[in-house]
Amino acid sequence: MIPCAVVGVGQTHHKSRRRDVSFGGLVREAVFRALDDARMTMADIDAVVLGKAPDLFEGVMKPELYLSDALGAVGKPMFRVHTAGSVGGTTGLVAASHVRAGKHRTVLAVAFEKQSEGNAQFALGSGRGASLGAGGSFAPFVRAYIHRSGAPEHIGWTVAVKDRLNALKNPYAHLRIEDISIEKVRDSPMMWDPIRYLESCPSSDGACAVVITDEEGARAAAADNRPPAWILGMSSRSEAGGFPGRDPVRPRACLQCADDVYQEAGITNPREQIDVAELYVPFSWHEPIWLEAHALADEGEGWQLVDKGDTEIGGRLPINPSGGVLSTNPIGASGLLRFAEAANQVRGGAGEHQVDGAKVALGMAYGAQSQYFSMWIVANSLQPFH
Amino acid sequence: MTRFVESTITFPYKRSLGPVTGAFMTALADKRILGVRSGSGVLVPPMEWDPVSGAELAAELVEVGPAGTVEAWTWVPEPTEAHPLDRPFAFAFIRLDGASVPLLHAVDTGSPAAVRAGMRVAPRWRGRRVGHITDIACFVPGEDAQVDGPDAGAPGQPVELMDYTAAVTYSTPVPEMADRAVAATRERRLVGLRCPTCERVYVGGDRPYCPVDALELGPDAEVDLPTTGTLTNFIVVEPVRYPGQTETEPFARVFVLLDDTEVVLTYQPVIDLPVHDIHVGVRVTAVWAPADAPVDTFSGIGRPMGSLLGWTPSGEPDAHDPDLVNRIY
Amino acid sequence: MTATSTSTSQPRTSTDIAVIGWAQAAIERRTDQNETQMLMSAITDALTPLGLTRADVDFTCLGSCDYITGQAFSFVANLDAIGAWPPKRDSHVEMDGAWALYEAWLRLHEGDIEIAVVTGSGRSSTGDPSLIYPMEMDPYVLAPLGADLVTFAALQARAVIAAGLADERAMAEVSIRSRGKGTVDELLAGEYVREPLRRHDLPPITDGAVAMVLATGDRARQLVERPAYITGFDHRTECHNPALRRLDDSPSTRIAAREAGLDDRGVEVAELQASFTHEELLLRHVLDLGDDVSVNPSGGALRANPIMATGLARIGYAADHVFAGGTRALGHATSGPCLQQNLICVLEGRS
Repeated sequence: MIPCAVVGVGQTHHKSRRRDVSFGGLVREAVFRALDDARMTMADIDAVVLGKAPDLFEGVMKPELYLSDALGAVGKPMFRVHTAGSVGGTTGLVAASHVRAGKHRTVLAVAFEKQSEGNAQFALGSGRGASLGAGGSFAPFVRAYIHRSGAPEHIGWTVAVKDRLNALKNPYAHLRIEDISIEKVRDSPMMWDPIRYLESCPSSDGACAVVITDEEGARAAAADNRPPAWILGMSSRSEAGGFPGRDPVRPRACLQCADDVYQEAGITNPREQIDVAELYVPFSWHEPIWLEAHALADEGEGWQLVDKGDTEIGGRLPINPSGGVLSTNPIGASGLLRFAEAANQVRGGAGEHQVDGAKVALGMAYGAQSQYFSMWIVANSLQPFH
Repeated sequence: MTRFVESTITFPYKRSLGPVTGAFMTALADKRILGVRSGSGVLVPPMEWDPVSGAELAAELVEVGPAGTVEAWTWVPEPTEAHPLDRPFAFAFIRLDGASVPLLHAVDTGSPAAVRAGMRVAPRWRGRRVGHITDIACFVPGEDAQVDGPDAGAPGQPVELMDYTAAVTYSTPVPEMADRAVAATRERRLVGLRCPTCERVYVGGDRPYCPVDALELGPDAEVDLPTTGTLTNFIVVEPVRYPGQTETEPFARVFVLLDDTEVVLTYQPVIDLPVHDIHVGVRVTAVWAPADAPVDTFSGIGRPMGSLLGWTPSGEPDAHDPDLVNRIY
Repeated sequence: MTATSTSTSQPRTSTDIAVIGWAQAAIERRTDQNETQMLMSAITDALTPLGLTRADVDFTCLGSCDYITGQAFSFVANLDAIGAWPPKRDSHVEMDGAWALYEAWLRLHEGDIEIAVVTGSGRSSTGDPSLIYPMEMDPYVLAPLGADLVTFAALQARAVIAAGLADERAMAEVSIRSRGKGTVDELLAGEYVREPLRRHDLPPITDGAVAMVLATGDRARQLVERPAYITGFDHRTECHNPALRRLDDSPSTRIAAREAGLDDRGVEVAELQASFTHEELLLRHVLDLGDDVSVNPSGGALRANPIMATGLARIGYAADHVFAGGTRALGHATSGPCLQQNLICVLEGRS
């Protein structure tokens, strides 16, 4: 297996409506930022992997066809993945797999969603009435978590405030709620009991792009004072959806995926060895849920980390310093944004939301009824634990 | 005989055009056709990037046409509702004067015998134009552009958005087991399918298989299930508006664990239990449609299953098992 | 169009990866089965003869398309067919199963796992292709014209004929060879659907699913006598709008073929995803396939066209040639209007 690393990261300014750009304009905004970051041009890219959520969101079928030339993929392999909400993460994994397999040296991963062209709620119901929406799927999971952990209700508000405060440090973030407060979250409307409006992610237009290259390219970047984010571990897991006894609060696919990615990365004590994580948290309660399902907290105790402020920037284990999905949610790109933000942290390139001294980071995305998981571990060196 | 259900997915998308396609559409509304300089050539419609290298093009827009030459064509004897003309026409690659690549559009000649490569054509503009590729109703033989009916003029402001309505009708098979499950509800019976390998039971029949063992389950797997149970979890949805939305008030769906089984029915409609009174542990019983009532045979998440309209409180005291809430599946 | 290529034709990792079995389900005009049911049979039928069960599979990758199925996230239900409990390493491509195979092939090269199952599935009978396909075209200037796949195919056929690579008689002969039906004169007496294409130049509407099993090195040799080793695999795309391309050529096929090592060594069998008769003639020319190469002995996409699985089936039939003692065969898959995107997979047997 060929070692590989992230050497370029780019994203768009995310908004509820990017009415100023076409599809091509949107993805290219992210792509050129990533290429500039990698000191590359489209000619340096050997293959392109595109990820996005359902084509019904924009009404463009197989958009990798239309976007081939916009992405500079003419004469190159153009690949399209779709694994529900985890797709952005899977886009990163598949792009890296091209390099790990030794098939290509430098691969561009791109993911986008232009939600304003359509309506996600409509698409989730496949055009029929009484669509339950994503919150409708997840509210029962959240209720179960609250019951079994005994977490107080302010935990959901706390995560919502923390991520929105983090977003204020991220110039690309969609939601910029300057006066965000516990009271404001608490008093926001109940959307999908027990999930309140401000405990939910927005609907965004946006794109993200990541340049992944092989060991030689990564070492060249490092020599040029542009630290690469070495990909130490990658994993995906999926599990069937509806069968008696499945636990969507602590999905076995998530537990196994985390075990797998830690093992490959040589992580034996994730709570000590991971410095920062970008987890896919579309509803605030998913932060403690995922802390537990990634062995970053004991079962039933994830909320205590939140309560103690451990997951804030400057805390013991910062989660989503970028503001996360709660602040920015171009669905198909949301997973790649997690992976990209994790990479930026270990490259020391996260700007105002940089976690001091971050050496090892986890990026994670999930999808469907908590059925699809993808993760990667990135680090500032190939052997960060030696 | 397998039953098929029809459903149409239709949505009025709003496309943001960006600077270059926006300028093209704005010009169309003004009966002008724009291209963009790319190297020594002119691309029509104009693009933001070079189609081969992907390099950004300086948005140097130039007017082309309006007349041009047919380079290649094919005849459409039976137009679809998505086509620009409702009578037989030619789709053609038309090289507009001043352009270096052809544009695809419709040519109205009445018959295939009247089209040929090399023929000169010009646009027939719609009288009412909005900034859309179909502002050109079609091309017609000759050198002179025409306007359909009275010319309403250009909208007078830059076009930034366009409408696109996608409508596709799908015909999907209903598994036999789903129809059997619905038929059972007419007899006020709830049937499930028991996997012979793992013994898990699945309700509804619209997914007649065990996902754990990847086994298809048929009539021999059918078992009768109790029609009473306990509410384990629920959702209350504040409906958002979207085309096709049928709900206006907060509505609930509940999860029901059937008595003496491991079976949970997900996203069930709830009847005569106000949204604010819903809680974990409510004992419920099935509500059936009157025997002669017509039955909606479209089952789907959150919908009634045949004559099983939903669940209502039985009046028994609540169940108190701390694990109930975890029974989502 | 300039050919851009900085890649190596073969992966730099040395893992042997082979197709060891495959199966199809449905493959009929309109099946009563939904996609999950088709996949359930195809996967079982592919694994069982190998003495494998779903529990032996380390990685799955499914290929399907929401707009064909008529539902957002339609592939999620298809997880039920792979036995994803306990959970599996898994992925999904919104592409033909041939690209699912490509992803699995990359994944197996990482060296930590041995067996993968890939699938392609679709129910084309579900919706009207003439209304669905315009949605994959340029969303601003082509989709709103209802610009359909057959229209673009007809315009490409014009170009291929003008270049002297085909004529209507030769196209009819392709159809007869693929379907075993009619005579040239009978077929040419038919009406045009889109001049110069007649009904016999078009693919049928077919529902179906294909499942394929891959294994690495020693495991492949343990499981079957004659694995079909993947010795070259590549795919390339072109710019989208057919009006901007030379339609009498297929540069992306040329690059993919070169990268897959076809320039050096010929094949005995070529299974081409030519959905229209002129596409076969164009691809034969571009791939420089001589008369000694058997093209589409399966009948090709003109005989059965289970969209999202048609390309993967080509690779399956190419593998069949190797299983039966053949030395080398290629499978080709395509996507998009006028062969926008092309994939070449070369399979070889070893003595």
